[in-house]
Amino acid sequence: MARDGIAALALALLGGAAIHQAGKLPYGMVRNPGPGFVPWWVGVTLLGLSLLLGLQALRARRARGPGRAGAPARAEWRRVAALLAALVLYVVALEPLGYPLSTFLLVLLVLRPASRRALVPALGLAVLAAGGSYALFAVWLKVPLPPGPLLR
Amino acid sequence: MEILSLLAQGFAIALTPTNLAYGFVGALVGTAIGVLPGLGPPATIALLLPITYGMAPTSAVILLAGIFYGAMYGGSTTSILLNIPGEAASVVTCIDGYQMARQGRAGAALAVSAVGSFVAGTASVVGLMLLAPPLAAFALRFGAPEYTALLVLGLMMVGYLGGGSMTKGLMMAALGLLLGMVGLDPIMGSPRFTYGVFKLSEGFEFVLVAMGLFGIGEVLVNVERSTVPEVLKTRIRGLLASREEWRAAGLPLARGSLLGFFVGVLPGGGAIISSFVSYAIEKKLSRHPERFGQGAIEGVAGPEAANNAAATSSFIPLLTLGIPGNASIALIFAALLIHGIRPGPLLVSEQPAVFWGLIASMYIGNLVLLVLNLPLIRLWVKLLEVPYAILAPFVVVFVLVGAYSVNNSVFDVGTTIAFGAVGYALRKLDFEPAPLVLAMILGPQLEAALRRSLIYSRGDLLVFFERPISAALLAVAVLLLLSPLVRWAFERRAV
Repeated sequence: MARDGIAALALALLGGAAIHQAGKLPYGMVRNPGPGFVPWWVGVTLLGLSLLLGLQALRARRARGPGRAGAPARAEWRRVAALLAALVLYVVALEPLGYPLSTFLLVLLVLRPASRRALVPALGLAVLAAGGSYALFAVWLKVPLPPGPLLR
Repeated sequence: MEILSLLAQGFAIALTPTNLAYGFVGALVGTAIGVLPGLGPPATIALLLPITYGMAPTSAVILLAGIFYGAMYGGSTTSILLNIPGEAASVVTCIDGYQMARQGRAGAALAVSAVGSFVAGTASVVGLMLLAPPLAAFALRFGAPEYTALLVLGLMMVGYLGGGSMTKGLMMAALGLLLGMVGLDPIMGSPRFTYGVFKLSEGFEFVLVAMGLFGIGEVLVNVERSTVPEVLKTRIRGLLASREEWRAAGLPLARGSLLGFFVGVLPGGGAIISSFVSYAIEKKLSRHPERFGQGAIEGVAGPEAANNAAATSSFIPLLTLGIPGNASIALIFAALLIHGIRPGPLLVSEQPAVFWGLIASMYIGNLVLLVLNLPLIRLWVKLLEVPYAILAPFVVVFVLVGAYSVNNSVFDVGTTIAFGAVGYALRKLDFEPAPLVLAMILGPQLEAALRRSLIYSRGDLLVFFERPISAALLAVAVLLLLSPLVRWAFERRAV
């Protein structure tokens, strides 16, 4: 499986990075291990396991012959990427725009393409989600959510 | 009869109006998310964790535990009526449960699974109540080497039993250990992997990682598929199974309960494996194995009993050894830690209110679930008509607010979203996130125990093999590690 190969590579790199970074911490001795002792060994374990997975992936490929991995279709990919982008924007917007407004926009963004619904119900749901959660968390449970310019 | 007086005290705690209400809410929410595919118990517990900060610890645990075992009840409903498992633990219930529904026997299947869940759940609480205190007393004798061995074995089993490839499970455990090391070193307090970022000196907040991996991660995976479940339009005629059906279900129920109880104790084992094993056993024992897959009631009764028994018995390692065996239990572990209670051998004796209150609430909870599930079945099926596209934004908003409220910090919201992306990637690459969160929460304990053992033995690694308990535990771990090699060797010889 090509996917296993990718995973093995990524986690092997991570394991290597962990070994490198742990090497900068004091290793101590076996009789008195320092802060770098366990991270170093865990890094080695991760690297070793990743190499094992890589080997398994190669063997499986040789047995099965090269095939295309089951990557998601483009439309599905786009939906996931759009949601992730919306979430990242949300974090950036949370302080300046405030919780109610940015949540409203987020819900609208998430809802619209997924449901292919008319604008009015989507607007209604977004108002409900943003307003309702603000009332529940900020007003009732006293979570100090950023109010933003609308409610300041 | 000390146990009865302790249990009576437990009931006194569980029956206060507040705790009763939390138990009820837990059971209700648990059933709801059990019914809904695409929202599992770990995600829900992570979502509700921040809300429990302000509660008394006993109430918090009662609520979260209710969600966990309640989901086992709800999961069977969709398996039977829609051929869609609401939870991973009810995948096998689909096989015969859905066939029964198609033959117009949905009512019987639902009744047997609800009653079976009740019987198994209650029996398992009895086992938990009787076994946990002596086991905790035994575990009090464990020193650092025993704990090291136990934690190593625990992580190994999670990798081994956690489903999928063992290599991948162990890789996730290693990754979780690394994530758990970000922050201050558990013995000397020097910072590691913090790169001067002040927020990282306290390490990654476990709740944020769990909310990201399970909450956001699940939404991302579900957004990708857009299939709408189609409700099988069978009318549920009568919720009573015939006498023959009950008779056929009796023994599978008993076997499933027993099996589930013991498999549930194993870290990484739990509800999912026990349901599969139970199905295989019932099929093997049956005089008519050909009926399996065609709507055999035994194929519903056994697995449904097993998954409930396992859900309850998986509290045993948490409450006696301080080792969570699955992701949901790990979150309950985190909830206890947040309330300043350290799950482990001392919990039963030092926090009797939490332990006995929880036990009593489980007896009540199972009864509540039976009542909630049987007559209200139509209502739960209605819940499925809520499209995921509408549910998803609400889940996302809940996760984001929850993440913010942990420390009132926008940085934390970003962390959660980042772990959401990681959770999505892991699922796409066929990795299970459960070993990761377990290793992350157990990592600091494991490291401290390992380093203490080595300091105590002055660097002599034999310390782990000279003490009988740790030697035995490590021997099992080595056997587990070698088992794929042995199988591989056998397969080669067979070819």
